[in-house]
Amino acid sequence: MSNTPEVYVLGGYQTDFGRNWTKEAKHFVAMIRESVQGGLASTGIDASEIEVAHVGNFAAELYCKQGHLGAFFLEADPAFSGLPTSRHEAACASGSIAILAAGAEIEAGRYDLACVLGFEQMKTVNPAVGGDFLGTAAWYEHEAQGIEFPFPKLFGKLGDEYDKRYGLKDEHLAAISQVNYSNARLNPNAQTRTWYMNEHHACSTGDNNPIVGGRIKISDCSQVTDGAVSLMLASRKFAEGWAERRGVALESIPRIKGWGHHTAPVRFDDKVAESRNNKYVLPHVRQTVVDAFHRAGIADVNGVDAIETHDCFTTSEYMAIDHFGITEPGESWKAVEEGKIELGGANPINPSGGLIGAGHPVGATGVRQCLDAHKQITETAGDYQVAGAKNIATLNIGGSGTTSVSFVVGVG
Amino acid sequence: MATATTEAASAAGLEDILRSRKIRKVVVLGANGTMGYQSGALFTWAGIDTVFLARTAEKAASGLAAAQKAVRSTTVADHVRTDGYDALEAECADADLVFEAVAEDFNLKNEFLERIDKSRREDAIVATVSSGLSIAGLAAGRSASFQKHFCGLHFFNPPAVIVGTELIAGEHTDPEVIDFLDVFCTKQLGRVMIRTHDTPGFAGNRIGFKVLNEVAQLAEQHSPLLLDKLIGPYTGRAMSPLATIDLVGWDVHKAIVDNICEKTTDEAIGTQKLPDSMRHLIDQGFLGRKSGQGFFKKDTELLVLNPNDGSYTPASQIALPDMPFISEIAALHNVGAYREAMAKFVAAPGDEAQLAREVIFGYISYGFCRVGEVTDSIEGIDLIMGCGFNWAPPGVLVDTIGLATTVEQLEKCGLKVPSVLEDALKAGRTKPFFADSRVNTGKFFVGR
Repeated sequence: MSNTPEVYVLGGYQTDFGRNWTKEAKHFVAMIRESVQGGLASTGIDASEIEVAHVGNFAAELYCKQGHLGAFFLEADPAFSGLPTSRHEAACASGSIAILAAGAEIEAGRYDLACVLGFEQMKTVNPAVGGDFLGTAAWYEHEAQGIEFPFPKLFGKLGDEYDKRYGLKDEHLAAISQVNYSNARLNPNAQTRTWYMNEHHACSTGDNNPIVGGRIKISDCSQVTDGAVSLMLASRKFAEGWAERRGVALESIPRIKGWGHHTAPVRFDDKVAESRNNKYVLPHVRQTVVDAFHRAGIADVNGVDAIETHDCFTTSEYMAIDHFGITEPGESWKAVEEGKIELGGANPINPSGGLIGAGHPVGATGVRQCLDAHKQITETAGDYQVAGAKNIATLNIGGSGTTSVSFVVGVG
Repeated sequence: MATATTEAASAAGLEDILRSRKIRKVVVLGANGTMGYQSGALFTWAGIDTVFLARTAEKAASGLAAAQKAVRSTTVADHVRTDGYDALEAECADADLVFEAVAEDFNLKNEFLERIDKSRREDAIVATVSSGLSIAGLAAGRSASFQKHFCGLHFFNPPAVIVGTELIAGEHTDPEVIDFLDVFCTKQLGRVMIRTHDTPGFAGNRIGFKVLNEVAQLAEQHSPLLLDKLIGPYTGRAMSPLATIDLVGWDVHKAIVDNICEKTTDEAIGTQKLPDSMRHLIDQGFLGRKSGQGFFKKDTELLVLNPNDGSYTPASQIALPDMPFISEIAALHNVGAYREAMAKFVAAPGDEAQLAREVIFGYISYGFCRVGEVTDSIEGIDLIMGCGFNWAPPGVLVDTIGLATTVEQLEKCGLKVPSVLEDALKAGRTKPFFADSRVNTGKFFVGR
């Protein structure tokens, strides 16, 4: 949409997702401070230049017994006193919703420079309690209450639905897991960069790789992660000045070229019932991606150089492959077998390692995806760089395919 | 020149180095020991066929079982064969890398290195995991080809978790071998590589055990309970010093500091001298956690050693002085205000705070004074203290405290001001000493 004012992505900062901030005896204020100060330092922006802040977080009320999270942005720097802030929540899509809100304010001309911050501190509780908290991203009473680890079971059902409609082999899910783990080894901020994993392990079951719900094994799951990510979004006016003082061309600065955003009925069974006669299992996710491509002026998935998608489980990435249009619906396995999704393949997915390999601090994930898109486009992704990347698509999903947000970040 | 990766070498250059050799087969000696089987697992992580050798085939098999348990994957076995030392010659004949991890005993290592020398392929690399024996000494008397391909590759325990790794060239090691291992271990094994000189204890143990031993010396005058609070996590470490000695093992601690004291000297070598109380107690079987008797002992409650007579006192019966600065500093770390926290550390009143400063600034002084001796630059020392010991590296402490304040405190504590810091102050340096994007420096400052 050529009449919409541009939203530029100037950069940001991700904390090392391998850290355990509870073991460090830290409040989440410490990760807010590190990620915001890191973002300011890496972009050469002064704290006083930030005009508005949007915070994405899922459930600090539960994990840390603390609400009013927008206000905590001010703890990052004394210069922020008085700054307008707000917090956004849409389960695992919270970070992307915060980006949408910040981008909309820039498009509306209210502000010229916004800082988006996504964070989650999850290692404050044991995995069973954390799993129960995550259950509030589903319809808790119907889908999570009294169920141990409800989300693996819900995304196991997504796999079952694929199996029913098109057939699904677990070895393809294991291959997806392996690609994410193997990419994560190249990412110095990835949580699992030193973990022991290979395809044989991902295929195995037993004490070292137990089943946690339906067909979902530990190796199919994303991680419980502590982390924060900041991202600086700017208007054209600010970006022009910033480009000048940084000595870079305005055209080389990535922009949010397109976005998509849809919400499906919260209950998983209702989603499946709704899509019964649709070739896409989660049609609202498909529409989200199509909208982002359309707004970016991109015909299809071959118009982007890589994808950062929401692999909260291997089944969600399996779904993303055909929903992005890399294959026909139901044929995601072909892209896996052909190596298309690998780093160096035709449609690399999650060069960063994704949620399985890089980690999944829930509220930070959408922001992390866009920061990784920025790194790819500015050729600063280091060992997980996709050569010559100009456009990257993201897909961030809250709940069991409920809230979906997709961005196309790119230049040109 | 700290590591190949921090040099200006291009990514393409690194790829060329990586391609210059193929590591298809690794032979691990001492594969039933922790360092042996855990390092062995690391090679299989990279998908390399690995042979576990030990005294007997059964012992090698137990090493494989332990490796599977350590990394929680039975798939380690996909890439591993096990055998006894009878097979050493045959296995070494076609190995690309022979990794020696037998016990830390010069004569024993020598015996095995001689067998490797006689059976290895001319171009095969031989590395020892020794944590501080002389690489030149171990290479002496071996063939020219062996000496060219031999070096130290010191993984820290446990290598599955700790990525900091020291790489030590001997006098005759081919620089190409060192360059290759540097890139290979970084790219294929996920290591953070630090090149050190062939000095006793190399870089990490030389500096780390200075701090640990100094605190052990102080335990003859102050309660271990007081010391581990005073030099606790809030000073930039995951674990307190005396608890660390208990974990490492008193016998291992003794071997390391005795070796350093015997083979080298420096401005603070007195702090590396094993306290007499520890020497006596080691003779009585005090070995730390593994013998159930160390500076601390777990009973129904925590018991604290009196090193002078070997008796234990319940922690609850030990009166500690009021040290409010510890919780105040910890509270600042808790919210990520690290500079403010360390400013409070510098300004804290009282004898205890002064004692803590003497130890911490002693560490900074000692670390920076070793530049040129154990590594070429402070970057290597900082990386091994951060990625090997999980301590705030000396450079990070100076960056956080401030250069001028650090020098002032060094002088106040009567410590040697390292020339690196003196020169930096004169030159008005504002650039941080530590700037490795792989490491979040905030993680070192623990909020307790």
